Amino acid sequence: MNGVGSNARMSEASRREVRAGLEPCLARLWRYALVTSRARDAAEDLVQATCLRAIERADQFVPGTRLDRWLFAILRSIWLNDIRARRIREGAGFVDAEDALAIDGAREIEANIFAAEVFRTIAQLPEAQREAALLVYGEGYSYAEAASALGIPIGTVMSRLAAARSALADLK
Amino acid sequence: MLTMAEEDAELVALLDDQLDEDAKGRLLARLAKDEALRKRYEALRDAGAQIAASFEALLEMAPLARLRAALPSEGAPRAASRRFPGIAFRELAAGIVVGLLAATAAAWLVLGERGDWREAVVQYAELYTKDTFAFPSPDASLEAQQLSAVGTRVGTDLTPESVRLPDMQFKVAFLLTYDGSALGQIAFVDPRGDPVLFCVIANGAADSPTRSERRGKLSLSSWSHAGRGYLVIGRLPDERIADFARTLEKRF
Repeated sequence: MNGVGSNARMSEASRREVRAGLEPCLARLWRYALVTSRARDAAEDLVQATCLRAIERADQFVPGTRLDRWLFAILRSIWLNDIRARRIREGAGFVDAEDALAIDGAREIEANIFAAEVFRTIAQLPEAQREAALLVYGEGYSYAEAASALGIPIGTVMSRLAAARSALADLK
Repeated sequence: MLTMAEEDAELVALLDDQLDEDAKGRLLARLAKDEALRKRYEALRDAGAQIAASFEALLEMAPLARLRAALPSEGAPRAASRRFPGIAFRELAAGIVVGLLAATAAAWLVLGERGDWREAVVQYAELYTKDTFAFPSPDASLEAQQLSAVGTRVGTDLTPESVRLPDMQFKVAFLLTYDGSALGQIAFVDPRGDPVLFCVIANGAADSPTRSERRGKLSLSSWSHAGRGYLVIGRLPDERIADFARTLEKRF
């Protein structure tokens, strides 16, 4: 078997699978990006940057493995290493959890203001909790998978999820 | 004796089916005997359902057309990002950018790094339908309370009288932040239930006279005065929105 030839074929398979798999993942990538960055403009940039890097690094993707998880890992890496650091340096508009959505008298409003509810629920959680909640409750990661993706112990995943639920439960 | 946080973590692990059989059995036994614990379990369960529903709803909001258009095409050259040099930015290869996307990109170029707060409101307002505000209107004292709370933050005197618009029913006032500035949203509905928003942002903008524009189905009229930007926006005829703006501009 020609080693070089089979490597080339493997790379070609990786590239094809990555390219074909990007579009079906777009909505979930955007959601992950939005939950992480809490800003629509950054979220779209983050998705695009992720897709570009995925194509650049397509050779590293093993065909047949979970492309979505691989893409999320890339997105997270870009956020942590590139965009977040720049936004802090540039003093860009981070929305603080407390300021993100302050609805005085909201408790008296019985009905659901749909869009506001969505933003309020998610945006007010601290980043660590939001991230854990998205992976487990949004993307269906197990505790172990989330722990691995975030590089933290399972116990920490558990306490972040509990803190996220508790924060909302205590608001009512 | 477990702390509250440890107890919550255990209940959540049960909810997420991540407890081993022994631990699960023990916790279920405790739940059977402890009503306070059961209530806490239910509260955490409901909170989790809300979180999951919110994530689900977010997925529906993805701007798929823009995201698809931004996907790199085969072999297209990469342009450097304005915002994040070193991360390749939107490629404007022919055939990718069409219609609305081109207009949006052009607007971003004109408006610069920070973008336009009104654009942010447009994205938000696009989600609103008659159903969004189809809940009972607040009584006068709650309306006054909400307006006062928002008004304090944006530094404008907001009262039921100062925001009153002919034939419009006040529904809710609440606060967002955009780019570090307090952004108040006051929502009304017309007799048919169509929402109209009156927004006030404390962004230190220079004075500017009322201008009207359209963004898709939404009609906007905006002005700024005394360091605050004002915007009236809704899916009503341009003239009605402009009328509302003229009425409000006299007061702010």
